[in-house]
Amino acid sequence: MLRFLMNRLGQSIILLLIVTIITFFLINLAPGGPSSTMRMDATAEERQAMVEKLGLDEPVMVRYIEWIGNAFQGDLGTSFNSGEPVTQRILERLPYTIELTIFTILISVILGIFLGVLSAIKRGKAQDHVINFFSVVGLSVPAFWLGLMLILLFSINLGWLPSSGVGSRGEEFSLWGYVSHLILPVLILTTTVLPNIVRFTRSSMLEVISQNYIRTARAKGAKESIVLYVHALRNALIPIITIIGMLIPRLLSGAVITEAIFGWTGIGTLIIEAARGRDYPLVMGVTVVITIVVVVCNLLVDLLYSRVDPRVKNV
Amino acid sequence: MKNRKWLGLFTLLMGILLLAACSYGADDSTQGAKGDGEPAAEGEPKKGGKVSIPIVADPTFNPWHPNAYAESNVVNRVLFSGLTQTGENLEPIPDLAEEWETSEDELEWTFHLRDDVLWHDGEQFTADDVAFTFNEIVLNEELGANNTSYFGQLKEVQVVDDYTVKFIMESPVAALPAYLSFNTEIIPEHIFAGQDPWDLTSFNKENPVGTGAFKLKSYTSGQNVVLERNEDFYGDIALLDEVEYKVLADANTHVAQLLSGELSIFALDDLSAIDRIEGAENVTVEARETPRFFWIIANQEVEKYQDVRVRQAILHSIDRQNIIDTVLKGYGTIADAGIAPALKDYYTDDVTRYDYDPERAKELLAEAGWEDTDGDGVVDKDGEPFTIDFEIGLQGDLEAISQMVQQYLVKTGFDVNLNAMEWNSMIQEVVVNRDYEMSLNWWRYPADPDLSAYMHSRSVAGNNIPAYQNPELDKLLDAGAQTSDVEERKEIYVDAQKLMAEELPYIFLWYPQEAQVRATNLKGVPNLAFGDALHHIHKWYIEE
Repeated sequence: MLRFLMNRLGQSIILLLIVTIITFFLINLAPGGPSSTMRMDATAEERQAMVEKLGLDEPVMVRYIEWIGNAFQGDLGTSFNSGEPVTQRILERLPYTIELTIFTILISVILGIFLGVLSAIKRGKAQDHVINFFSVVGLSVPAFWLGLMLILLFSINLGWLPSSGVGSRGEEFSLWGYVSHLILPVLILTTTVLPNIVRFTRSSMLEVISQNYIRTARAKGAKESIVLYVHALRNALIPIITIIGMLIPRLLSGAVITEAIFGWTGIGTLIIEAARGRDYPLVMGVTVVITIVVVVCNLLVDLLYSRVDPRVKNV
Repeated sequence: MKNRKWLGLFTLLMGILLLAACSYGADDSTQGAKGDGEPAAEGEPKKGGKVSIPIVADPTFNPWHPNAYAESNVVNRVLFSGLTQTGENLEPIPDLAEEWETSEDELEWTFHLRDDVLWHDGEQFTADDVAFTFNEIVLNEELGANNTSYFGQLKEVQVVDDYTVKFIMESPVAALPAYLSFNTEIIPEHIFAGQDPWDLTSFNKENPVGTGAFKLKSYTSGQNVVLERNEDFYGDIALLDEVEYKVLADANTHVAQLLSGELSIFALDDLSAIDRIEGAENVTVEARETPRFFWIIANQEVEKYQDVRVRQAILHSIDRQNIIDTVLKGYGTIADAGIAPALKDYYTDDVTRYDYDPERAKELLAEAGWEDTDGDGVVDKDGEPFTIDFEIGLQGDLEAISQMVQQYLVKTGFDVNLNAMEWNSMIQEVVVNRDYEMSLNWWRYPADPDLSAYMHSRSVAGNNIPAYQNPELDKLLDAGAQTSDVEERKEIYVDAQKLMAEELPYIFLWYPQEAQVRATNLKGVPNLAFGDALHHIHKWYIEE
């Protein structure tokens, strides 16, 4: 087990290195830099002063080595645009994205497994078709379009929900103020992952149900609900856990669009801001954090896998 | 039975989706009918309430900071004050300076400051703050502060006494009071002295201290900036309780929030949404004149564009009114020179006009030696076809406009390669490297007719991006800068406009109007562009 963890740690560090190298060179070699995000009428001297101030007159290679050296010591540098430490800016924003992600996963998993099982046991019936239909719709409809449509309906026409923002944090807490701001973004994010969970649960369940031991369970007279939820679902869950782990990166990228539409001040809006403003240290910082989240999620999935399925041993 | 229940649910969900798609259009028409009949009468100004203004990113609370872009300007204008501000006729009017005069040779400007101004932290504002802002920030070349190009002729600022300063100029700049009203607010010496002004995050990002009608109440990165009324303001105390700036990156969200009443006022950039907004009952749209002009530039370093007939042919090829009507939804007037009608004292339309006339364009090209000799639809000269590399940055409606321009130019016989690139890349190619043939964009300038920064030959390294050089135009621009007498300047700038229209240093397109959208119950906003109206935010109020 320890050897497994060490192994994975080593792999993760190499992965992280590759990701940072690619990102660093991509953003630095892209045409235009922090000095060209200045106002159009900034003079050549103003631009040069900025380049020098930010140390961008050094070669890219030198800057990368300097950056990675600092990063390994836990220093992600200072944001070009705000002058604040990158770590502080990320820590400010990360909780909002985590909040969004947790609610989305909770709802998607509970609802997804329920609908998936329902769809499997009612295979070919109306319920199955309805669930399938909405899965396909959910998968096909672009999040930004659906987001805008929901804003039109619930915020502008009906006036029930706020069209954006994270609510009045810091002021007096109101449950409705909190929940109302969450509803639409969570709904949009849910549409990007829920259909996957539903479809995976369905196919996984169908496979398990046709196994011999299920027939045996039924034959020995076990109640149908016990057969489904104890014998079948437990075994069907194994691939589902994998898919949930794989959906987390997808959720994070979905958050970029969702957060932008709903003015949700998470890591997604931060990276848009950073990329737009050519804030290199911030782009790098967010990339590192997201990569770590993805790596950790995958590791957790592997560990969980061996818990659910004793046949899988992590050695 | 069970199946029918599911079917019911299915139908319900479909219904909701359909409602989302359709109800919007239906709502629109009824709102339009109501909106038109609204009386325009304004009630008595009342204290209280707040306005919400969108900004696209986190602001920097320092008008001189190189990272202070448009989103910062709209906040800083309210937090801080300049020596002058923009009046209702776009003329500079007193703000921190009560009055000013210039010496006989126009090389010394004396500004008499108010003695009743307190910084938001209670410190007294004095002449030292003004001297510090200009001598230590603006004139310090290493800092590369914003907007320093307006002060290229400034030698230094001298403190005469606590409430009098002298601006010493290298050469006369009649536009100085106008420049002093344009993103050039004064910052406090007692906080910045001895500090790196860009690294002082505690001020620039957390706790700015200004002199304006509102002061900072709270700031949450990525979310909002809330300002509250400054009860110690030296002018008329503001009527609104609060001004909130919401950080909203997406322009669609701005429109949605305006329609749902969550935003109060802004200048609409993307006019494609204008029909929806004009139809809404709680929102008013006003066209405001601004000192801006859209242009095409043809690089004067490239030989074929040096012939004025080629530039004139380009202008004759383009149906500008059609672009204004379709892309700008009518918010603009055709320009044949650079001084906008917003500058009422100086503008003239009595200049050479370039109607949409492709035949005339072809004649002009033929005169210049460009004719389609091989019948391929492209004009040529000495066997070389006239190809144009047309590079633009993707922002707002620039792409839509450029595509139309491309089509018009192709019709006349140019071979146009349109290359639309990301904004920063365009800045790098066109503005920094000057590696381009033709580009399209616009200038927004301070409310003064002095366009030296954009077309004087001394500005070639600066914002004279086409690198246009004409001694005659230089002479007129210099003359205009050397006198503060409005009548005298008017004559000079009328001549300058005639010359601009003939010679086309820029291929002028139009003067855009700002589509200012605001909640109908927000009153007291003067007839100015949104950015300038912010100087008068203490007069804004909410009508019940």
